Amino acid sequence: MAEVEETLKRIQSQKGVQGIIIVNAEGIPIKTTLDNSSTVQYAGLIHQLVMKARSTVRDIDPQNDLTFLRIRSKKNEIMIAPESCVEIL
Amino acid sequence: LFNTLAAVRVKLNTMLLYSRSSRAMNISTSGILRLNRSATYARSINASVSRKSFCLAADSKILEKSSVQTPKHTIQVLDENGKDVTPRPVYQPDPAAVQSKHSKIFASDTSGGTMSDFYSTTYQTTTNASFAGAFTRSLFGSGSVSIGSQSIMESMSEEIEDPSSKRDNSISLSDVQVKREEVKELIQEEMLDDMVDLYLVESDTLCLLDMPAISVSVDSMEAESVKERNSRYTELCKNRTGNDKYMGRSMQTFNGASKTKEVQSEAITMADAATIANNWDMYDSFCSAGQGEVDLSTDTDKASIAEMIHQNHGPTRTMERTMSVISSSTIVSSSSSRMEMEPFVVPSESKPDPELILQSEEFQQHLFVMERIILENIYQPKLAAYRQLPTLEGMVLLEESSLDEEGPPTPALERLWSFSCELTTGRNVSSMAWNKRNPDLLAVGYGQFAFKDQKPGLVCCWSLKNPSWPERIFTCQSGVTALDFSASSASMLAVGMHDGTIATYNVQSREKTPVIDSSDCVHKHTSPVWQVRWINHERALSGEDKGEALISVSADGRISKWFLRKDLMKLKRTRNDRFKRQVGEKERKSEALISRQAPGLCFDFHPTDSNIYLAGTEEGHIHKCSCSYNEQFLETYQAHKGPLYRITWSPFCSDVFLSCSSDWTIQLWRQDLFTPVLGFMSTQRAVYDVMWSPKWATVFGAVNEGRMEIWDLGASILDPTIVNPASPGVKLTSLLFATETDCVLVGDSDGQVSVYQLKNFTAGEGTQVGTLEDIIGSTLASQL
Repeated sequence: MAEVEETLKRIQSQKGVQGIIIVNAEGIPIKTTLDNSSTVQYAGLIHQLVMKARSTVRDIDPQNDLTFLRIRSKKNEIMIAPESCVEIL
Repeated sequence: LFNTLAAVRVKLNTMLLYSRSSRAMNISTSGILRLNRSATYARSINASVSRKSFCLAADSKILEKSSVQTPKHTIQVLDENGKDVTPRPVYQPDPAAVQSKHSKIFASDTSGGTMSDFYSTTYQTTTNASFAGAFTRSLFGSGSVSIGSQSIMESMSEEIEDPSSKRDNSISLSDVQVKREEVKELIQEEMLDDMVDLYLVESDTLCLLDMPAISVSVDSMEAESVKERNSRYTELCKNRTGNDKYMGRSMQTFNGASKTKEVQSEAITMADAATIANNWDMYDSFCSAGQGEVDLSTDTDKASIAEMIHQNHGPTRTMERTMSVISSSTIVSSSSSRMEMEPFVVPSESKPDPELILQSEEFQQHLFVMERIILENIYQPKLAAYRQLPTLEGMVLLEESSLDEEGPPTPALERLWSFSCELTTGRNVSSMAWNKRNPDLLAVGYGQFAFKDQKPGLVCCWSLKNPSWPERIFTCQSGVTALDFSASSASMLAVGMHDGTIATYNVQSREKTPVIDSSDCVHKHTSPVWQVRWINHERALSGEDKGEALISVSADGRISKWFLRKDLMKLKRTRNDRFKRQVGEKERKSEALISRQAPGLCFDFHPTDSNIYLAGTEEGHIHKCSCSYNEQFLETYQAHKGPLYRITWSPFCSDVFLSCSSDWTIQLWRQDLFTPVLGFMSTQRAVYDVMWSPKWATVFGAVNEGRMEIWDLGASILDPTIVNPASPGVKLTSLLFATETDCVLVGDSDGQVSVYQLKNFTAGEGTQVGTLEDIIGSTLASQL
């Protein structure tokens, strides 16, 4: 448990990391370092995308599964670990 | 069937007549009706019947109608009493059937219902001859019932009638029915007699709706009689108008008070349910169905993860690690296999507790991956350079332009990154070692050299993928002075410490304690262990010696060989190579007895012959020893004037070795010569570490207090090729070449391990070994 906290802190302190959102399986944010409105917005949007991506991967091969999702845009990059949904901007 | 119609009409009339005549009977019929329904109603029936009689007797005029209506009233009475109105049964047993069937009439409760049925229906619709058959039955029934009721009337106050009494009724009814038939005969003068016969035959058929034809075909048997009748009727009608025989009489029928009855039923709620069956959905259900029976242990803690599919984390990552991946992935897969059946057993997902999520292994795994990836983002160019991959992100290609301008590029060092974190700042890097199996894993030991400032030592295992935080951190009681990874079991790390203990750690597990500790051993070292190494003895004398052994040298003058038993570290055989101090040439007898053992500082085993090894002492002597001889050295090389910090055999030339010491020099030796072939001195600082490059035979690196030097003997034997000064105030203490890439790691006294890349470094073509030997040869020749 402490390790998790430490890791989170380290990630947060890395250069370039804007924030971390931890979302549970239903898309409800559990923990966040951003402000509330952005958190809710991100959580809702990302959750759908993750569902879709996972569905895509598994449709092609049911034994496969989504392990990581990265969205790189002009301004920033969103990294999503889909199991219990950690997102890092 | 129009005959039946006529019969109906007639019967109705007759019934009416009949009813007039037997008022009481009708009443009783109603009573009987109810009795037939259920025997338990007897008492109430009696009461109601008596009531009925009273009300009926009141009005004679209405009596007929009311009597006819009684059946209807009976039904209503039932309702008032709160009794359930039994649903009108569809099945109507034939009372006019053979006498054997009489029991049917009363045996079934439905018959009573049918009779009331008949009454009401016939009353309502005269034209509807559908119940014609029933009507005859009812007539019979009524007759029979009424007569039967007489007997009952007598015993009205008596008990509930049993089925036996019912049967009695039926028996009496049979008699009655005979009479009935006779009576019927009298009545039905004009009618055809075959009606009865017909009914007898077809008693079982249910006739729900029968619309008899009004016309009869000319061919039928009845045609004649029908015609006759018709003609008679027309005649009758003609005669009727002025005839006195016929009187027109009007009747008024009461319409029964209608009562609306409402029934309410619950609205059937409809819900649309839809689901999408994906490919993987079906696969999941299929898999979890198979697993559901196997593992029924519901682990509620693990139920926190509602996601179903999770096969393996570890292998999907391309980076292969010997450490935690294996252990944690097994944990993950086992927990996921247990969880896969969870959704199958419990269809509704249990909402996972946020805390549990945060604590779960998978979450940690994800964070781990996430951190790696972020760091990769940050360090990507550097890491790519390390691995000699092209860098991404469309960097400006500077090299081309620079290459055109200059001549042959000068070799240089480029600093890529450094391993450091707040834990390690301030500590002195004492030793570094690569993992034998995973070239990305680096173990760094932190410990002070000097005796004065001792603090608890630290061993950190760094991964190249995460330069900001070590993967494993082990704290030791005293400063760490030596490290080595085992080659056979790649997760064993041997640590030698300043207080003489040797411990082995298992870097795969997350435990902070050593696997084995030598502190309990009898023959343990009493002074700092300066070097440890795992050596694989191929040629062993006995079976026990085979395999890997741990050799250590310490300042108490012993080189010891350790064997690892199951749980304890046992010193299997001590090779007490005591370094005898040679006090110059003189040997005083008194001192010979007190043969002090010179502290050993370093050793190195021969790359090919694992029996021969070199050991360096604090006095500057290098001893060549053999594993078979415990007491004597084979050779001694003396050249250094200060303690030897490092001895290394050349990995390419098996005769050549290097030694460095605090007398500011690095010496190159050949095995058979007792004087060094070459000596290198660049600055007046103690050289702490020297290492041959694993790629080029003529290259080695050295670290002294102030700077790091790369020597290329092919280029120059007087000066180092590359010099990298250290940051001010920091002393460089250890050096390590990376095995697969052109990088050098340098540890300093501030706790940083910096990674440098050798750029533009070509040590010449051709066989390096030949070059080295040529150099040696030429040097020797020149010395002569």
